[in-house]
This record gives sequence, C-alpha cells and structure tokens, in this order.
Amino acid sequence: MTTTEELLTDIEANGHGAFVETFDEQAGRMVINMGPVHPSTHGVLRLMLVIDGETVDECLPVIGYLHTGIEKECEDNNWRGAVTAVTRMDYLANFYNEQVYSMAVEELLDIEIPPRARYIRTLLAEMNRLSSHLVWWGTQGLDMGAMSAMFYGFRERELFLDFFEMVTGLRMNHGFIIPGGVWEDLPLGWERAVKNITDQMPRRIDEYENLLTNNPIFLERTRGIGVLSADDARSLGATGPIARATGIDWDLRRDMPYEAYGDVSFEVPIATEGDVYARYRVRVAEMRQSVKIVEQLAKNMPKGDFRHQDPKLVHPSRREMAHSMEAVIHHFKLSTQGYTVPPGATYAAVESPRGELGAFVVSDGGTSPYRCHVRDPSFVNLQSLSRMVEGGLLADLVASIASTDPIMGGVDR
Amino acid sequence: MTVTTIPASEWADRARALHAEGWQVMDLTGLDRLRLTPDGPRFGVVVQLINHASRQRQMIEVAVDGDEPTVPSVTEVWPTVNFMERETYDMYGISFEGHPNLTRILMPDEWEGHPLRKDYGVGKVPVEFIPQPIMQVDSPGQTPGSGSTGIDRDRLGQVVGEGDAP
Amino acid sequence: MGGVSDTIGANFLTAQLDKLVNWARKSSLWPATFGLACCAIEMMATTMPRHDLARFGMEAFRASPRQADLMIVAGRVSQKMAPVLRTIYDQMTEPKWVISMGACASSGGVFNNYALVQGVDQIVPVDIYVPGCPPRPEMLIDGIMLLHEKIKRGEYTAGRVAG
Repeated sequence: MTTTEELLTDIEANGHGAFVETFDEQAGRMVINMGPVHPSTHGVLRLMLVIDGETVDECLPVIGYLHTGIEKECEDNNWRGAVTAVTRMDYLANFYNEQVYSMAVEELLDIEIPPRARYIRTLLAEMNRLSSHLVWWGTQGLDMGAMSAMFYGFRERELFLDFFEMVTGLRMNHGFIIPGGVWEDLPLGWERAVKNITDQMPRRIDEYENLLTNNPIFLERTRGIGVLSADDARSLGATGPIARATGIDWDLRRDMPYEAYGDVSFEVPIATEGDVYARYRVRVAEMRQSVKIVEQLAKNMPKGDFRHQDPKLVHPSRREMAHSMEAVIHHFKLSTQGYTVPPGATYAAVESPRGELGAFVVSDGGTSPYRCHVRDPSFVNLQSLSRMVEGGLLADLVASIASTDPIMGGVDR
Repeated sequence: MTVTTIPASEWADRARALHAEGWQVMDLTGLDRLRLTPDGPRFGVVVQLINHASRQRQMIEVAVDGDEPTVPSVTEVWPTVNFMERETYDMYGISFEGHPNLTRILMPDEWEGHPLRKDYGVGKVPVEFIPQPIMQVDSPGQTPGSGSTGIDRDRLGQVVGEGDAP
Repeated sequence: MGGVSDTIGANFLTAQLDKLVNWARKSSLWPATFGLACCAIEMMATTMPRHDLARFGMEAFRASPRQADLMIVAGRVSQKMAPVLRTIYDQMTEPKWVISMGACASSGGVFNNYALVQGVDQIVPVDIYVPGCPPRPEMLIDGIMLLHEKIKRGEYTAGRVAG
C-alpha cells in the first residue's frame, strides 16, 4: 500500500496525466488535477488534490509552468539591463522587483541615492501596492461569484496605470527604478494626478467595503475558511498579509525601514483569526494605509536630484560631450558595456504586496550580475496553501487560493 | 552584509543552533563559483536568515564541492526551505540529504542538465515533441491503466508503437 | 471562400451563406482562458470597463476549450507549459483561431534562454501576432479587429484544413 506521498511523487514524476489520475475504489479517494489551465487558479498553478468526495485531504502544488529563466537572463544582461528582466517576475508589483534589485546593487556600489529619488521610488511603490491589491480584491470577489468586484477593482486600477504611464511611459513592466535612483524625474503636473487619485480612493474603498465586507454570502464563504495558525505561518515562512492575518506583527516597512518609509507615519493592520476573511480585512486596511502614505509622500516630496550623479554610472550630458573627450569615452563605455560593480554579495529586502521580496546579488567585479536571485514571497507562501486547504471543501480551496494571492511569474521566475 | 562560510559537514548542527536562537530562514539558494573562485569549492548553498526579535539579518554560505554535491537538508528545522531546496536541486544539481521529496520543481521532470550552472548555455533550446503515453480511462470508476486497450497514444492522439488488437 | 462553399459546392447561394456564417462567427468569438503572465493582466484589463471587449461580443471567456473558438496566448510559454498549450489547442473545436499576444508569445520576447519556447508558432498555427511587452489593451483590440476582418474573409491559417 503506497503512501500518499509516494503516490503523488510517482504521478508527478510521470508527467501530466489525465484529469482523474487515480481512483482508489476501496478508500473512495480520487487524485484530481486542478490546472494549470483553470479559471480560478490565478495563473498557471497546478494543484494535485487527493479528495474524498468534496473534502480535500491533501493538496500538492506543482509549479514551473511559467519558468522563464529570468535569473539566467540577468546574468546575460548588464547591471542596468537586468532591471528589465527582474521587473517581469512579480508582474503585478513591478516597481518592487526593480526597487529591491536596485537596493541590492546600490549596496554593492556603496552609494547613497538622493532623498528625492528615495521619495519617488517609495511613492511609485505604494501606488503599485494599491494597484496590486485592487487586482487581488477583484479576483477574490470574482472567485466568490461577485463578478462586479472585478469590474470595480480594474476600473480603479486604470487610474493608477494612467499615473504610471504618465511617469514611466508604460502601464506595466516599467524598468524605471534603476540602481542609482530613477530613470527620469517626475513630470510636471504629477501633484495634481496624485491628488486626484488620493481624493478618490478613500471613497472607492468605502464602496468596496460596502459591497463585500458585511455581505452575508461573502462572510459565509470566507469566515473560518482556510485557517492558518501563527505557528504554521512562522514555520512555513509565510510573510506579508498572510502572516499578519495570523497575528504575526511584522512589516519590513515599519520594523526595518528602508527608502523613505522612515519619514512617513502609517499603521500596520493585524488580524488574529488567520482565515480568508482576516486576510481580506488586512489587505483592505493596507489599501487605506497606502493612500495615507502616498498623500504624505506627495506633500513632502523633496527637491533635488532624482539620480545619484556619478560620472561612472550616469551618462554625461550632450553639452558636456561636445567639449570633453573624457565624457565621450564615458558615454561609449556606459552604452556598450555598462558600469562595473565592485565584487561582493548582498541581500536586500522590501515589503511587497505579497510579503518579503528579497534580492540576493553577487558581483564578480564585472559589468553584469554574477548571480541575481530574487526571493519571491509567492513562492514561499504557496507552501502554506496546502496547510490552509487540507480538511476543507473544494469550493473553499478556491477561496483560499484567491486569498493567498499568488503571482505565478514570481513563483516560477 | 558579511557572509559566513561554513563547510557542509557543520551545516546541520549550525542550523539547529540558529533555530534555537530564534533565527528564521528567509531564503535558500545556490551559487556556482566556477568563475568567481575557480580554486575553491565549486558550489555554495547561500542561506538568508533573519531574527525578528533583534531585527538582524545574516547570510551563511555552505561550501560544497564535487561532481555530485550533497548537503544535509534542513527541512525538519525550518519547513519553509522545502521548495527552496527543491529549486536549488533543480537549478544546480545540489542534492539535499533527508529532503522528503527531492524532485525537479521548475523544469519538466524529464529535463536533463541543471540550468543555472555556469557551464550551461544561455541560448534557446528548441521545443522537443516527446511522445508521451496518455492514460486511457475506459469507463468511469476504473483506474487508468488497468484493463486498458494496450494502445499508447501520444499527446496528439496518434498511436505510438504497436498496440495489441483490442 | 472556405466554410460552406468548400463543403457543398460553390455557387451564388452558398457564397451568400458563407458571408452570413462568417459574419456570425466573427461577431461572437469566444476566447479560451489562456492568460499566462503579464499579458494576461492586460487581457483582463481589455475586458474591463475602460476598454470594453464586450462591445465585440467577446467578454465571455470560456474556461472549457470545447466551447471556445479563439485562443489568445497571452504571456510567455515555458517548456513545461508547451504540451499543455498544444493539448488545449487540440481540444478546441473547429473553426478556431489563435492570437499570439505579446512579444513572448510571438517570438520569445525579451527572453532568449533554455526555459521559453521562442514563439508559440513553434507549437500551434497563429493567425494574428500582437507585439508589445505587454501590448496596450487598444493594441489587443486592434489585433482582434484584424482577426475579425480575416474571419469575414473566410480565411484560415495556412496548413489547416478549411471547413
């Protein structure tokens, strides 16, 4: 009699298989495959479920369907070009990927970026948190059957994407936050755009709460569902809203501040039940706090440089190149090879919408990263999914996946 | 950030000691030192640790060498490293002794080679059309493969090999 | 012209019937959910109120490939996902079309390494390529409208049996 562990490993090792992998007539248990093409799995996540009727006995996530080799790609690009590869990992939190990578490289370069650059980065990051949580909210509602949640969430997300397009030129995958600061200064009129958003968002979040938070159907489907205890969260390495919903009071922005988070005041929402509803409440509260942070940053934006001006890192201006041979040589070297980073290894981390996003960067003194590994929160959080759903119903599995908010680009890299 | 390097033989005990002091693992990954330190051990398993109480971070590198590098697994100490060790095995070929399920996690199961090693090429790999037997379920409630028609079909439904007459 | 004419003989009546059938097909093209990565988010945004895809009759993304006739491959296709992609394509019923959305699906995109299929046309025949990383929703709609023109003309991608 093979154990379930061996059975699942055996099935997984033999490739994809059919819909019903096995059916054990005596025990009445089926091994069923959910995904990778499935409307509720938030991307290409494949779950192998051992179910007994409607109850999920075990859940084994099979990942790798979106593996892009981004870490190998980083080693093939120069230090500036690796930003464009890294930004496509967690594709709903692009600025966070870029920010953490840039922070790691700046630590290796041993440079300090100017205050305005820090504020711009933090501003973009917090707006990215809002736009990412809006997608989460929309898909959480959609998976529970509240299709209007999807429309509301994405309607607001367009406001943020308009702002990103105004600043960076792109709606997604920006490549804007680079080692040394940001690529360009904020355009004229950005204060009005931000004010427009921060004026509207509190009312909109009230609208969302009106729709779902006290909705009896939503409460039935999310309260007591997908419970994760604090000990499990700690041992399985869950971070972000999943951990905070179990009562673990840890947020990198407040406890190990970086960039401009030391200059703003905000609260870190905590819940204790650890179920889907708790995670929902934590994320909605985080949205409200992000609006406050954005307001403070916009009000106190310092003047100055948006980039660390070092001739070894930044292209010289055209005017300079007209009369200085050195400037021309610098420009040539920077454009063809890029700058070099002193040898070393470091790890930097930020609090992304899904948890701790870290970048482990190793340099051998050359013009491209020797090793760039990104610690993605969804990759680690997915391990807690099994703990959440075992013992529950199949329908509750859908709710739990939505509340884990996995982004497969980050999971598979 | 300072990196502490320890040999693979000390890793298991060190892990237990760190866990007792309250350190959590945030990340565990591999490093191929082929072009970084060609004279030293080829691989390293780099572990990022954090201590919530003292707000400190620590980076440890477990040096390991050889054609089939092996490192003790720490899944019993910190269950969070389960997926991380599988990924390191997949990408670098470093085996973790004592891991409950050391199989490939990101690449297809029949993939050969360990992609993140420095001697693995960067270019594209063409798509292989591999005939795979599909499990035929003949009737509901029947385990696939038991009493099947004996005909193997590949992904595209075409018969592979000779099947027995049904 | 494809469709009815090929099957039961070409004359004036079947040509008009063809036009009607093609118009019906293009007006209610149901995509299969095949969102993979970042392009999937932009595909979702295309169905949302700002760039409404429902005005083309296409907001119903069918999860079952049997009920879909358009597959929008939105995102990067990894080596592990390639057989799944092919299976879903095979399970779709004729007539079917494929839009390759984004640079990664069209040609491997910004990634040229061991892990990605360099263009989904290595595996399935593609009708329309929409470049971009990711393409704006308006670009996707433009690609879809081009596909509508193609369907109205009764064209199928070369290499497939018409009808």
